[in-house]
Order: sequence, then structure tokens, then C-alpha cells
Amino acid sequence: MKSRRLGVSLRIIWYLVLFFLYAPLFVVVLYSFNDANTTTHITHFSLRWYRRLFGNAQVLDALKLSIWLGLGSSVISAVLGTMLGYGMYIHRGARRLAWLVWIVYLPVATPDILYGISELGFFTDVHARFGILRPGFLTMLIAHVSFQLPFVALVVYSRLVGLDPELFNACRDLYANGWQRARFFIVPTLSPAILAGFFLSFTLSIDDLVISFFTTGPGNTTLPIYIWSAIRKGVTPEVNAAAAILIGGVFAAATVAMVVQYMKALTRRQRNALL
Amino acid sequence: MAEAVASRQATGYQGRFLGLGSDAWHILGVIMPGVLWIVVFLVVPMLLLVGIAFMTNGPYGLPEQPFTLDAFRQLAGFGLLGWGPGNLLVILRTLWQTALATLLVTLISYPVAYYVTTRPPALQPILLLLVVAPSWSNQVIRAMGWMNLLAPGTPLSTLAAKLGLIAPELGLFPSAFAVTLGLVYDFLPFMVLPLYASFERLDHAQVEAAYDLHAGPVRAFLHAVLPQTLPGLLAGIMLVGIPAFGMYVVPELLGGGKSLMLGNLIARQFQDASNWPYGAAASIVMIAVTLVGLVVLRRLSRRAAGGVEVVL
Amino acid sequence: MVAAQQIRDVNGRSSDAVARQRASSIELRGLSKSYDDVEVLKNLDLHINAGEFFTLLGPSGSGKSTILRLVAGFERPDTGSIRIGGTEVVELPPNRRNVNTVFQSYALFAHLSVRDNMAFGPRMLGWKKDRIGQRVQEMAAFINIAELLGRRIDQLSGGQRQRVALARALINEPDVLLLDEPLSALDAGLRSQLQVELRRIQRRLGMTFVFVTHDQEEALVMSDRIAVLNDGHLQQVSAPQALYERPQNLFVARFMGHSNVFPISARASDHLLTPLGRISGQFGAGSHVLVRPEAITVRAQPQGDANHFPATVSECIYRGDFVEYRMQCGAARLTAKRANRGEPLFEVGAQVSASVASAAVVLLDG
Repeated sequence: MKSRRLGVSLRIIWYLVLFFLYAPLFVVVLYSFNDANTTTHITHFSLRWYRRLFGNAQVLDALKLSIWLGLGSSVISAVLGTMLGYGMYIHRGARRLAWLVWIVYLPVATPDILYGISELGFFTDVHARFGILRPGFLTMLIAHVSFQLPFVALVVYSRLVGLDPELFNACRDLYANGWQRARFFIVPTLSPAILAGFFLSFTLSIDDLVISFFTTGPGNTTLPIYIWSAIRKGVTPEVNAAAAILIGGVFAAATVAMVVQYMKALTRRQRNALL
Repeated sequence: MAEAVASRQATGYQGRFLGLGSDAWHILGVIMPGVLWIVVFLVVPMLLLVGIAFMTNGPYGLPEQPFTLDAFRQLAGFGLLGWGPGNLLVILRTLWQTALATLLVTLISYPVAYYVTTRPPALQPILLLLVVAPSWSNQVIRAMGWMNLLAPGTPLSTLAAKLGLIAPELGLFPSAFAVTLGLVYDFLPFMVLPLYASFERLDHAQVEAAYDLHAGPVRAFLHAVLPQTLPGLLAGIMLVGIPAFGMYVVPELLGGGKSLMLGNLIARQFQDASNWPYGAAASIVMIAVTLVGLVVLRRLSRRAAGGVEVVL
Repeated sequence: MVAAQQIRDVNGRSSDAVARQRASSIELRGLSKSYDDVEVLKNLDLHINAGEFFTLLGPSGSGKSTILRLVAGFERPDTGSIRIGGTEVVELPPNRRNVNTVFQSYALFAHLSVRDNMAFGPRMLGWKKDRIGQRVQEMAAFINIAELLGRRIDQLSGGQRQRVALARALINEPDVLLLDEPLSALDAGLRSQLQVELRRIQRRLGMTFVFVTHDQEEALVMSDRIAVLNDGHLQQVSAPQALYERPQNLFVARFMGHSNVFPISARASDHLLTPLGRISGQFGAGSHVLVRPEAITVRAQPQGDANHFPATVSECIYRGDFVEYRMQCGAARLTAKRANRGEPLFEVGAQVSASVASAAVVLLDG
């Protein structure tokens, strides 16, 4: 498969696909800087939509809510997910826990529309019966944690599987009791995985629309919900601006993550030389 | 085996406390909080949803007793004016869009994944990152991007109108085409990654053997490459096809109310149309298809991997 | 490398300060262990003397690692007792036994430096910081890894990791040190070097070492006594010389690499009949005989020896410091080894006489 013609056509396909992948995002950013109010004519560069955006209290509130929701749910799922992942690892030989895999994968495999409406039904029923859990921030938080948990558990689990199993015995051989083992071995070893799980949860939370939409209540609008409602009324450049900011944020975070990874892969000497 | 035993012993000693061994306490303390959360806040709601499908639609759209199969009858198409194929069409259309999108994604992913493997190894993670990065943005924003690009009056739409594909005043969106495009766009990275992994492990000697035995490029691909990429392909189909079936945002924004998929149908029942049992019945269809798809694909991929468990 | 002269540590003290006399005997009684219905050990009795370098030798699955893990406390026996220094330890978890382990995979903590790995046990035991720091320095000098103290584990070679694992275990001054095939991951040259070094360290410290291996040569080099295991049963427990020169049964003979093993077809009060021929002498019970290659003399003509057999040389292998003859002798194939003293070699096809003294013939159970 080394003919030159194949190589050229592969390259063409690659660039076409890259263009395809980035065109919509590029267009969003492009229109956000467009002075005109329509999406069909490019006039001149303007920041007025951004100015409008920052003066828009609703957007800022939505952003704040999204961040709080993300942080809150990620903290909870980091804790519960780590425990779950650890438990899954320790008992991975136990046959009577085989159903555990299904439970853990359920949130991952469920389409978010199903997720959303079943939560809607559930919370409505609970509220009607017991008067607690009125749809709002708390219900969103609960729903978010439930779909973030498995991801954290899986990240932690795969990190543990990569360890030499005798390390646990080594701890006991060296006189560590259960708490010492957790504090001096398990947590330090897992902390990169836990952190990765935390960031993954945060990203999932910030990005979510459907589940948040169906589990939220009046006055609790997250940023994706705000953008969704705005689009339904018609795409405006202001919405493009908000979207462009989100895109920028995600790519900035991704770049930071990449740089961190790259730095970690270098040896200490190379790192000192760079900084 | 020694590993499993080692892990079992690693939890602690076999003393008993309050009638339970330390093993059981460990499970309770460590696993149960997370599991309970999922059970109470996902499993129970889904069971509830299934239950709702068998109830009657109350005056405010909320379900109430008595139990009935009305919702299912409605789903099958039996409305006030007799039988209509509308709902079944929605289901069929969903299946069709899913299959089409999966096929297109596969066709595009193969050359893309292969291309990445031909690049220098240091570059490959960066290239993959380039492919994956767009999926990190919000799905609403992605759909919005396509709305921008395909709206009436935009260059693409004008071009399509000139080519006679659509009427001049319309855009490429809203349409079934836009929905397919949106689906392909969203799910492309999920097929590229597993296929890349398969290509990485590819035994090139088999391809050379094929050429040595006088096969042309097409035959060499079919017999030497395709079978080896089967595990990656199946994993990709699982990651693309199953979520695609349950998509809501893309068909909602890009379909414009005419190209409804099952997810949109369901959502409407819980919003304006206010017929929860009917929506729940439709949900059961989605659950069923998702489950069947998962089971079938898992079985196929297990066989493709030679009987070895494929943990995703 | 622990050299002959005294090593001085950071504070100028001699390394004799490191060599504390501390050792315990180990008594195993009636030990049984099954995994998932597979019986690995059944009713095993074993006694290991204090201060001894004791090796558990056997093929994979023979139960030798299981015994080690039971003594360490990572597994609990189904039945039986384990006494270390006279104290029953079966009920004690590993972190309450005064025993440390060097793992086959070393199991070093990747997130800690060499120094912190070594300090792990003392920290868990609650030693004072000063004492920990001092002991780490002493032990690092003793094991010769002082320049590695600040490094991370992934920067170390296999041999270095092995030493760190050893240091991490020894610093806790256990009564017994357990070593689970610690040298199996190293290449041959490093292995030989470390075998000798481990032996020296053990002698220096006077500690009880229990060593597990499947390599009989390794066992012979290092041990005071060796227990050969097969299928969870003890085949023989002896000092190296007795084990090699006087194996008790067929399994041990084969495992130690002996080739001249022949079944006894008939016996009388003063001789045995074997495929080799007739062997005179008075012998005890047994189903097979072993004739060690070193004990066979090969000559052109028989010379009045008691047991001599006509043989045809089928191979002559010159190994530099010794010569090996493979011969067809009656119905049997015989191997003889002889130190190379510059004598002329027999050619292939030569008719020779192989003889062996009756006293050098070993009887084996089946």
C-alpha cells in the first residue's frame, strides 16, 4: 500500500476532513466578529457582540451557574467515583459482583434524552409525593453526578489495573495498616487519575444540555441551556459570540492540558532547561 | 489467578464485625455509595419511566391510573382518526439516519485513521488530537455552526440551489441532509480512534503477502486489512451507532421539525404535547434498540477478538 | 558490593553497626492450603533453623511461593500452624509480623524516591526521624546504593532496583527475610554476581533468609539447606552437597539435572541388575539407581574394577575444563564427565570400559 497515488489521495482526504471538522467552529468565531446582524454577509470586524454579551446579565448568571454546577458535581463524583473504582479493582475477582459492571456502564450507554426525561419523571414524582427536591440546582447536580460517576470510576480503575498487584502486599509487608496504606500509597498513586477524573467530570457537566434542560427548574439556567433557548429563537451574532468564547475556552484548556502532558514526559533536566 | 487472590487478600483480614466479614464491610463502605447513587437516581427513574408507559394520560399531561396499553396503541399509529404511519415512520427514519451516518463515518474514518498511522510516530498523537478536539466543544455550538453554514443565502446553499439540488429560496438546512451531516460531524472522532488503534497493530506482513500472492490493492485491502481492523470497526460502530440512535440536539436544530428522530418525538411528549405515557412507550422502543444493539455488538466484538473479553 | 574490608558509613561508623544479630527459626506444622478447590499444600511440616539461608526449590506450581506467602501473611492457611521464633503467627496480619519480603517484581513505590522507599517501613512503625535518616544512610552504604538515594524508581536499572528492594526490606531489622525469586528478572552475569552478594549479606547479618527459586544451580550456590518441593509435597530437605550427591528419589534426581538414572530390573543380596549391567554391592531400598557422571571412570581396558561395563562412545564433547563422554552401554545411555588433565580423548565409536565404585552408586525411590 505504498504507491504514491495512494499517498497523495490520503493526504487530500485528510486535509478535506480537517477542513470539514473545523469549518463550523471557524464560522461561529468568524460571525461573532462580524459587524452585520445577519449570517450571510461579512461586513467588517467588530467587537460589538462581545460587548453586548458582557453587558448581558443573563449570560453571566448562566456562566456562573454552569461553573458552580460543574465544580460541585465534579467534587462529589471525584470522591464517589474514586471509591467505586477502587472497590471495583479490589473485588474484581468476585463473581457475585458481576452485575456491578452493568450498573457502572448504564449511565455511559444511556442516550441523554432518555436520561433527561426519566429524571424529569422521577423528580416530579418525588416532589409530588414528598415535597422535596423541587426541580432546580439540586436536581441538576444529582443528575450530573450520576452520569459523571462511572467515568471517574473507570479512569481510577484502569490506573489501578496498571499497577503491580504486589504493591498492596508490599505496603502490608512494610507494616502499613489500612489507613496508612490509603494515605501513603493509594491516594498518592491515584492522584493523577483522580484529577483526570475530576476534569473529565467538569467538562461533561459544562457541556451537558439535554439532561440539564430536563432536570432544571425556573431561574436555573446553565450556559448551554441559555444558548439553546437563544438559538431556538434564531441564531444571532451575540449567540455566536457566546459560543465563540466557549470554543476558545475549551481549546485553551486543551492546549494547557497538552503542554502539561508534554512537560511531564520530559525529564527533569530538560524541564529545567526550558524554564 | 494468583493476582485475583492477591487482590482479595489485599482488602484485609478475615475477622468478623457485627456479623459481617471485613470483606463485606469493605464493599459496603467503598462501592455502595456510588452504586446506590446510580441505582436510586438512574435505575429507579428508568424503571419508573417504563411504568409510566402503561399508565393513562391525565388532564395535565401527568400520568395517572388506571393501567392501560393506550400509549402503545398510539405509538403503533392508532390515533383519533384511525391508523397512521407517522410514528412508525419516525422510528424507521431514525434507524435509517443512524445506519447512514454510521456508514458515512466508517467510510471517512478508514482513510483518515490510516493516514495518521503513516505519519511519524511523534506526530501521531497531535494529529489525533486535531481530529478529536472539535468534539470537545458543546454539541449545541457544533450544530449552530452548521446552521450558520447551511442557512438559506449562505455560499453553500446558493451553490446547491445553482446545482438544482434545492429550491433557490431554501437552505441546505433545515433538512434530512443537514441532520445526517450533523451526525457524521459529531461522531467522526469516535470511529477514527478505535480504527487508528487497530491500524497501529496491523500486521503489514499480511498485506505484503497478499501482494506477493498476486492480489490487487482492492483485494489486498479486503483480505489483509479489513479483517484485522474488525475489532476497531466494531468498537467504532458501538460508539457511533448506538448514541446516534438516541440523538436529540442535532435532529432538533438541523431537522427543523420535519426530520424527526425518535429522540425528538419522545421529547415533545414531555414538553408541549404533554403525553407522558406515550413518550414513555416510545422511550421503551429506544431502550430496547439500544440494549439489543449493545448486546449484539458486544457478542460480535468478542468473537472478532478471538473469544477474549473486550472491555471498552 | 560488600567488600572484605570494613565499610564506613556517613558518620564514620563501621558497618558492623549495621549487622545486628537477629534471627528466628521458623516452624511449619500441618500446613494446608487450597485455592478454588485446587489443593496446593497438604499437611506440610518444615523446620527452618535460625540464621540459616534456607531455599525452597521446585518447579512452577510446586507450592514454594505459597509457603513463602503464608509465612509473610499475605495468605492464610486452611489448617496448620506457623511459628516464627516460637511465636504462633497464623492469626497475625503481615504488618504485625516481624518478617519482610523481597518481591519477584520488586514492588517498589514508583511515586517515592529510593530514600523514601527505604524509609517506608520505619515510618509506618513510627521510628523517630533521626533514627530513620541514620538507618537509611547506613543501610544504603551497606548495600552499596548510597549514590542512588535521591533517584526515582523509573531511573534505576534492574539490578539497582533489586538492591533497593533488598535494602527496603532489611532496614526494618526483621527476624526473617523472605525472597521470592528475586533474581529471576536479571540477566545471567548480574544474577551470578548478586547470588554471591546475597549470600555474603546473609552471613554478615546472621539473619534467617528463606529464598524461593526454580533454578537448582542457584540453590546450590547460596543455601545452607534446600527443600525440594513437587506438587505441594516435600521431596527432600538437605544441605546442598547431600542434595546433589545423594538425591533420595527420582524427582529430585531429575530436577537436579542428573542424567544417569536407571531402573532396577532385579536385585539379589549382593548385586543389582540394571539396563547398564550388573552392579555388585549391598544396597538399601529403592527402585532406581543414579550414577553421577563425575564418578565414572572411562578407560580403554577394564582394570580390575568391581563394576565395569563395556561401552561405545557415541559423543565426545570437549568443554574446555572438562570432557564429557556420551556412551551406549548395553541397553543404557551413559554420560561420564572427567576433568581435563590433558589426557588423549576417546573418539566416537571407540570401545571403552566404564567403571564406577559401588560406594558411588546412589539408590533412589520412585
